Parts: sequence; C-alpha cells; structure tokens
Amino acid sequence: MATASVYSGPGFDFTNEVRNNFLTDRGIPLPKATSTGTTIVGCLFKDGIILGADTRATEGPIVADKNCEKIHYITDNIRCCGAGTAADTEFTTALISSNMELHALSTGRKPRVVTAMTMLKQMLFRYQGHIGAALVLGGVDVTGPQLFTIHPHGSTDKLPYVTMGSGSLAAMAVFEAQWKPNMERAEALDLVCAAISAGIFNDLGSGSNVDACVITASHTEMLRNFVKPNERVQKERSYTFRRGTTEWKKEEIRALVVEEDITHITGRGTEEAMDTS
Amino acid sequence: MPDGSFAHPQQRQFNPYSDNGGTILAIAGADFTVIAGDTRQSEGYSIQTRYAPKVFRLTDRAVLAVNGFAADGNMFVKKVKQRLEWYRHAHAKDMPLRAIARLIQTMLYAQRFFPYYVYNILGGIEEDGTGAVYSFDPVGSYEREACRAAGAAQSLVQPFLDNQIYFKNQKAAPGTTHPAHLPLSDVLSIVIDSFTSATERHIEVGDGLEIYVVVAQGRSPQGLDAFRGAQELSTQPNGDRMFIIRRELKKD
Amino acid sequence: METIDIAHLKSGEVNLGTSIMAVQFKDGVVVGADSRTTTGSYIANRVTDKLTHVHDRIYCCRSGSAADTQAIADIVHYYLQLHTQMSGSPPPVHTAATMFQKLCYDNKDALSAGIIVAGWDKELGPSVYNIPLGGGLFKQPWAIGGSGSTYVYGYCDATYQEGWDRDQTVEFVKNTLSLAMSRDGSSGGVIRMCVITEDKVERLFVPGDQLPKFWQGKEVLGTGVPRSAELAGAVAMAVDA
Repeated sequence: MATASVYSGPGFDFTNEVRNNFLTDRGIPLPKATSTGTTIVGCLFKDGIILGADTRATEGPIVADKNCEKIHYITDNIRCCGAGTAADTEFTTALISSNMELHALSTGRKPRVVTAMTMLKQMLFRYQGHIGAALVLGGVDVTGPQLFTIHPHGSTDKLPYVTMGSGSLAAMAVFEAQWKPNMERAEALDLVCAAISAGIFNDLGSGSNVDACVITASHTEMLRNFVKPNERVQKERSYTFRRGTTEWKKEEIRALVVEEDITHITGRGTEEAMDTS
Repeated sequence: MPDGSFAHPQQRQFNPYSDNGGTILAIAGADFTVIAGDTRQSEGYSIQTRYAPKVFRLTDRAVLAVNGFAADGNMFVKKVKQRLEWYRHAHAKDMPLRAIARLIQTMLYAQRFFPYYVYNILGGIEEDGTGAVYSFDPVGSYEREACRAAGAAQSLVQPFLDNQIYFKNQKAAPGTTHPAHLPLSDVLSIVIDSFTSATERHIEVGDGLEIYVVVAQGRSPQGLDAFRGAQELSTQPNGDRMFIIRRELKKD
Repeated sequence: METIDIAHLKSGEVNLGTSIMAVQFKDGVVVGADSRTTTGSYIANRVTDKLTHVHDRIYCCRSGSAADTQAIADIVHYYLQLHTQMSGSPPPVHTAATMFQKLCYDNKDALSAGIIVAGWDKELGPSVYNIPLGGGLFKQPWAIGGSGSTYVYGYCDATYQEGWDRDQTVEFVKNTLSLAMSRDGSSGGVIRMCVITEDKVERLFVPGDQLPKFWQGKEVLGTGVPRSAELAGAVAMAVDA
C-alpha cells in the first residue's frame, strides 16, 4: 500500500479551486472573510515614527472582535499596521517578519524598512490584488525614520503622514489639518490618537480602542490600548439562570475513570518485568 | 483597457432605496407598552446623523416606530399622521389602536409594487386598556404580538426577547409558572440592555436611545420613577399617560 | 467568446490618472509630471513622484496603474544595473526603452501602464521614447501621456519648436503640465521636473500655488461692474430663483 504523502509544498493550496468555482457558478458564494474595516495611521515626528490603529474587526455589519491587534511585529525596529482581509494582513506580515529575520541573520545587518517594503510589494503584486492586505509600514533604520503605505495590488507610497482602511478619510482630515514637521513625541502621539479617534467615532467600520506604537532609533514602545474611550457600560439586569433552567429528556451518568485488573499468568511476572522508568 | 471591455451588454439602473441602519423594538405589558429605537442614522460606513428619531407619537395612546429607508419612513409617518388628523376632524376623537393598525396595512399595501422600504412597529393601548404591539412587513402584512424587534440588529435582539419575554428555552422552577406579563421596570431594563448589547456587536446601532412608554388610563406607572429623566408627554389630565426616556449609547 | 473585464478585475486599484511628459533639447531632456495619485475620487497621494529613476541618466514617467508601473520600473531598474555590471558601461536609453516595451507588450493582457522613457546616452545624446498602453515603442522629440495629455495635444503641436535651449524647454513642460492639470480632474498637485544632461540630473519643483496661470475664466457675477443696474438686478434674481 502506498503511503499517503505528508509533504505539502510551499505557498497556497489550490486543491479546492475547481470545486469552489463550481459551487460559485451554482450560486453558492464563498464564505465571507473577517475584514478589518479599519482605521490605521502612521506619522513621522522628530525622533522617529508613530503608528496607530483602532481595535475593531468586523464581519459585514457585525463586530467580530472588539479588541483585536492590528499593529503587527516585523522586526524590533519595524512594525506594520494592517487593514483589509484580517487573515491576509496577519499572514503576510508574519511571513515577511519571518523572512526579515532570516535576511538579518544572513546579512548580519540590522534590517531596513525598504527591505520589508520591497518584500511586501513584490508579494502583493505577484498575487494581483487577491491578497487583500492594505498596509502601513513604519520603522527606524540606519537610513533614519521611514514610513510607507502598501496597497493590495502592490503599489507603495512614501509620505510623512499616512492613513489607510475605511476610516482613512476621517483620519487623514485630522492629519491634513494638524500635522507639521518635527513634532515632539507627546504632540505626535496626541495627533495619532486624534486621527484614530476620528476613525473610531465617524467610521462605522472602526471602533473600540486606540493602539499606538512609538518607534525611535534606540527603542520601540508598543502602547496597547493606549486610550480606551469605549468601555462596556453596566447592564441594568443580571442574566444568570437558575440551576435547572435547561430542560433535558434523559439523564445518564457514566464513570469516566477506567479500571483495569491485571492478572499475572506466570509466577515470574514481577521480577522479570521490564524497567520502564 | 482601463475603461473596460464593451463586448458584453451592460445594464445600469437607478436604485431609489437605501438602508439607513438602526434598530427598533416594542414590548407590550398587561396595561402598558414600551416602544423604543436608537437614534443613529447611517449609510454604508458613514453616520448621517447621531440624532434622527425613529419613534413617533401618533395619538395619546399610539406610538409608531419605523425602520429601514429613512426617507420612506419619514414620509410614511407624515402620511399616517395626516390620515389620523382627518379622522379627528371627521369623528371628533382619536382613531383606536387596532384601527390605526388596519390603516397602516392598507397604506402599505397601496404601494405593493413600489413599496415603502420600511419595517413598522405600532405600539400603544387598545380600547380595552391592554398594552398592544402590532408589527408590519414593508407591504402590509401584520399581526398583534407581545414583543417584536426589527431593523439592523433584529437577529441579535429578537432571540434575546424570545428568551426574556416569552421565556423560550427556560423551564420554570418546580411548582411555579412563568408570568404572562412582566412589570414595567423589568421591561425597561430589558429594553435598555437590548440596545446596549446591540450597540456592542452591531456597527449600525448606537449614539442615542429613545424609549416611549404608554400606560393605560387609571393605572399607575409603577417603577417608572426609578428611571431618571422620564419626561411626561400626556395631554389629558386623566387619560392614558405617555412618557419618554432618553439614554446615551456608545458612539463608536 | 470569453472576454475578461479588466476594469472589473482591477476595481479599487490605485491609479495614476496622470499628466506626464518628456521633451528633448540640444543638451538633454526635460521630464515632468503632476503629483496626483487617486483611488476613485480619493487622492491617495498628493505629492507623488512619478519621475522614476531607472539608471543614472535614464528616467521614466509612469501613468496607469501605480502597482503595475512601479513593478515594471523596479524590474527594469534591476536589469539595467545587471547590464551595467556585465557590459562595463552605462546603458543606452534605447536599451532601457526596449526593456520597458518588452515587459509592456508581452504582458499587455495583465497590465495597464503607459510609460515615457527619457534620458541621455553617449550614442545618441538626448532621447525620448513613448510606450503607450498596448506596448508599442515610439521614438519622439517630445511625448505626453496620461489622462491629462488629451487636453494639451493641440497646445503642444502649436507651441513646440526644435532648437530650444534648456530654459525654454523647462518653461514648455511647466506650461503644458499646468494646462493639463487645470482641465483634468485626475491630475493635480505640484509639478515635478527633471533635467537630464550628460553632467547631471537636476530636479525642479513647482508648488501647487505657484503654477503658471493662463486664462481662468472671468467673474460673471458679483465683482464685475454691471453694464446697467437693471441687468445686474435681473442676474441676481435669476440666481435667487
């Protein structure tokens, strides 16, 4: 009998392509992916880069996760905010993070932001927009602070302040009104919070809390849930149920402890027993 | 090539409808009715306004909640109010609740092939003094019920109401039965919790909450005083009494 | 027959609905572009640099899909570096243009890219190559491209003359782009230009509030002195109605 192959090749598995196309033609649509209808931003300031994100993930009009993380780790000095299809942003950033670590190991140099940007754009371009990842990439390297946006089709932009996701217009309005060169850390952090808050309150796809990440030449500081302007309110009633509320049709109690009696057939059983310790 | 291929015929059509989100709900008690709706009006991912009422007072004992396409909803309420005004001029009294329900049915069905894109819930007090809720589909099918949720978060709220109002999937404690009607204070708590929960998990629900309470003539609005900021809207000194309670909801 | 709707496949794509141009003169070439990148009606980048370096003395102007043109430019940039290392001398502009042309022609079904390649080389001195949508290759003394170019063909034909010097060429590029940007909604922002000569590449920048101005229409209402008070009254009433 042939052994089933346990090897799976690299990259995506297209096994179900034909079947899924057939189902789509028969009017059965593909399941909807969790999208991070999002507000993500990045902003240059005097000492480096600040990235910001909201924490709402949606499936259509339903909130799938009220406190998800959208600022992903690439390297110690590079982080990436993701908008679009949640799975795509998580996997592309994880893959590039992994490749950046290998690249750093093989070159023996501290990784550069352009390297991550080039890897991401080449991957997204190869998949012609089918990987729905819209990214804000920021970090500080040997060439100084760097900030990029990467669109799902693989185009990139390099700007001093950037926004992406469904709340990008709300956030960009704040940046266009208030951003200026060489801001201090506190001032820039306030501006990033204001931009994300504009998205949280004015864009239905964005909500809950503000995450921020301050990257400078010497240090990276992840400020998870930096502002929490949408705490859950106290309920009017408690909804605990009396024991026995759920009806049942039959009751069966089974012992889950298995007992086994061992009878030694030969008399020498004990002394010749294998030492299993 | 960026301008696309014209090898196939293309069809374009104007769509006069849109969905403005939001949720409404009504619960009937033994001698009162609670009708509520959030105040957010949205289109797509944008908020059009944080305060657009969806619940309207029709008479001293009838309240109508409309949800769906806001422009149709507002126009429909306007026309219902006009018909009720004409009724007052002709008969020198307010139209009874069950008659308003039937009127709404005929008005909706008149637009069978170009419907008002709205879900209506009518609440109030019947002539026999009982609380009543009537719910409608966009083309006029209706029924009287004890409770109903409609709109964006219907699928979140209605199962909760089935469980808490109708006690679905709940076995009563031995030797007891579930009550047929809940007291007003319990109903108000359930209504508020329905909306705070819908706000948590549905992006189109939030900003504000308006709750109308209609209490039958001669009955005391017990428990209402426990709710801060209840404002009385009654016009007759000893007729049915109407109150409104406003609450803030989360704005994200 | 099965046709692929390219417009549908690329929905939501970032576009360089652009005004770009390149003009040669005796000592070199001037390349220029607006700075607007759009996704639908949203300006994704208002200070884009569409003048892309592919070698020391060869630049390209990109129009069409931002992703496609960036990818092509990156590939050509890579091949030109390789070419330089192997041949030991800087590549001719024609070589770069041919690389662009080959990529654009071979992948014409998958790309939306209109590219102008311009630069200076030892063989020909200054040269301008136009590679429009289908992947053709045309050597021209001047070339314009992008959505905004359709508005200014007449202006260019009427204005361009051989034998200009550097400053005259720069003025021509600046004026043409300003006219294109004022008529085309998908173009705008600032003007970026590069003057490529044997000695150096010089970058020029015109801010959005310092673009050359042409006839801008005249105030019909309000500030204009009315020919008679009666007429002014009539106009005002028409506006109120």
